Amino acid sequence: MTAITTLPTLDETSAPFWEAAREGRFLIQRCPETGLYQWYPRAHSIHAPHATPEWVEASGRGELLSHSVVHRGNTRGDPYTCALVRLEEGVAVFSRIEGVAEADLRSGLPLAVAFHRLDDTISLPIFRPPSDAGASDA
Amino acid sequence: MLAGAIVPVPGSRNRERTTRAVKELSGKTAIVGAYESPRRDAPRVHPFALQMECILGALDDAGLTLKDVDGLCAASGDWAEGGGTMDVIELAEYIGIQPTYVNSTDVGGCSYILQAGQAAAAIATGLAEVVVISYAACPRWWPLSTPSFDPFVLPAGPGQYEIPYAPTLISTYGLFARRHMDLYGTTPEQLAQVAVTFREHAAANPQARLRKPITVEDVLASPMIASPLHRLDCCVVTDGGGALVMTSRERARDLKRRPVHLAGYGAAVARTQNSQIPDDLSTPAALSGPRAFAMAGMTPADIDVAQIYDAFTITPMLALEDLGFCGRGESGAFVAAGKLSATGGSLPTNTDGGGLSSNHPGKRGIFTLIESVRQLRGDAPGIQVPDAEVALAHGLGGTFCSAATAILTV
Repeated sequence: MTAITTLPTLDETSAPFWEAAREGRFLIQRCPETGLYQWYPRAHSIHAPHATPEWVEASGRGELLSHSVVHRGNTRGDPYTCALVRLEEGVAVFSRIEGVAEADLRSGLPLAVAFHRLDDTISLPIFRPPSDAGASDA
Repeated sequence: MLAGAIVPVPGSRNRERTTRAVKELSGKTAIVGAYESPRRDAPRVHPFALQMECILGALDDAGLTLKDVDGLCAASGDWAEGGGTMDVIELAEYIGIQPTYVNSTDVGGCSYILQAGQAAAAIATGLAEVVVISYAACPRWWPLSTPSFDPFVLPAGPGQYEIPYAPTLISTYGLFARRHMDLYGTTPEQLAQVAVTFREHAAANPQARLRKPITVEDVLASPMIASPLHRLDCCVVTDGGGALVMTSRERARDLKRRPVHLAGYGAAVARTQNSQIPDDLSTPAALSGPRAFAMAGMTPADIDVAQIYDAFTITPMLALEDLGFCGRGESGAFVAAGKLSATGGSLPTNTDGGGLSSNHPGKRGIFTLIESVRQLRGDAPGIQVPDAEVALAHGLGGTFCSAATAILTV
């Protein structure tokens, strides 16, 4: 992938997310009191601040909410696409889009998660068209 | 669920509540000195040396000296600003003063507007008497790298889910601009008109970095940086700095310059992570603006001249909506109709050329205050709006992460 030079720093809260990503599963959090989802992962529920959120596996499907193709400024290689993806569960996540030509990027484009194995600990989720089978290398 | 719209919530602390005490603060303090460095390139000048030029310039303008100063506001710990994590102490030491009121709250580009509002409260309550607000940065030559600078967060905690994807500052503004197009039908031509209008203003400002007029076609033909933003949708990168002096209304009467009173002030912070961008693109300006107008007892229709932070063409457009100069989603048509033009527009905006054409060292909120002061005094370096009596200075921080609004009067 272009310009992946910074890896996440894991902590007590985030470790389950990255362990699941290593296995090709995308986890999000749900509030045990309200049933509402949240992204990004926290040690508390933003819907009921004294509650500890539970992990649930997301479907991995979503749609493109907004995007920006980085042509200059941080690339040492080809342009890459930063994006907000609305998951089926309703939360928005920030990620990259791959496998879609710039001219075909549009709001509402169906997407599915795939994973790039960066090292033994980190597999980074990105999003591709759902038909783009076999994209994960997790 | 997506991040909800940022709106004043009835019954919560961020509603449009303005207490009698806040309303009584309106007009109690004044900006009595202002100075903008004419520099746009300051090779090998440490930012503290540039701040000293600005502080002495603002004090000279006020007819005061360093001996009169008991308050210092600065946010100088970011990249190319020269300070570390205790920057205001470093700066005080460098200047050679021991202030008893300080504020180094850093909420990005609008920090100096927030600091002016809090200085007003400090002066009105007697915590401080003469406060200097100062800023300088030298990004054009600054030799130290600070990887976490862009976009302001670490790849640990909340940022670990975003920083590995290498978002740039401009690509995050691109997310806002693209979604504004999708939601509201805004066009690249409308965005470009913002840059064209402010360049027209810059042409009259001898201090402005870029003064050659441009067209919408020029903006669209300039290289794409992070879609949909072209190079000419982006601010200039300059070295530079500025400073202000504030004191009480009473003391201001005896000083050299016509006082410019702080009539209204509001500020708010909301988010840093891209995943938390509200679905309707509302920003913390939807909280800071109503508070500032309520404190001043005014509405957007009262504003004669505006300085609105313009890091990118989309930046002032969202502020126009949040502040109530136009409706949600209507800023594209608003700017395309020429309403921001100082020659014929209903809301002359960024009369100095703004960040898109005049200067942008990194946190240019202080310049929105300085140009407001000059417009109200009638001594603008470029375009002068005749008989302006009410000015609005508005800034944001980061990528619409924070907002601060000031309303100034003479």
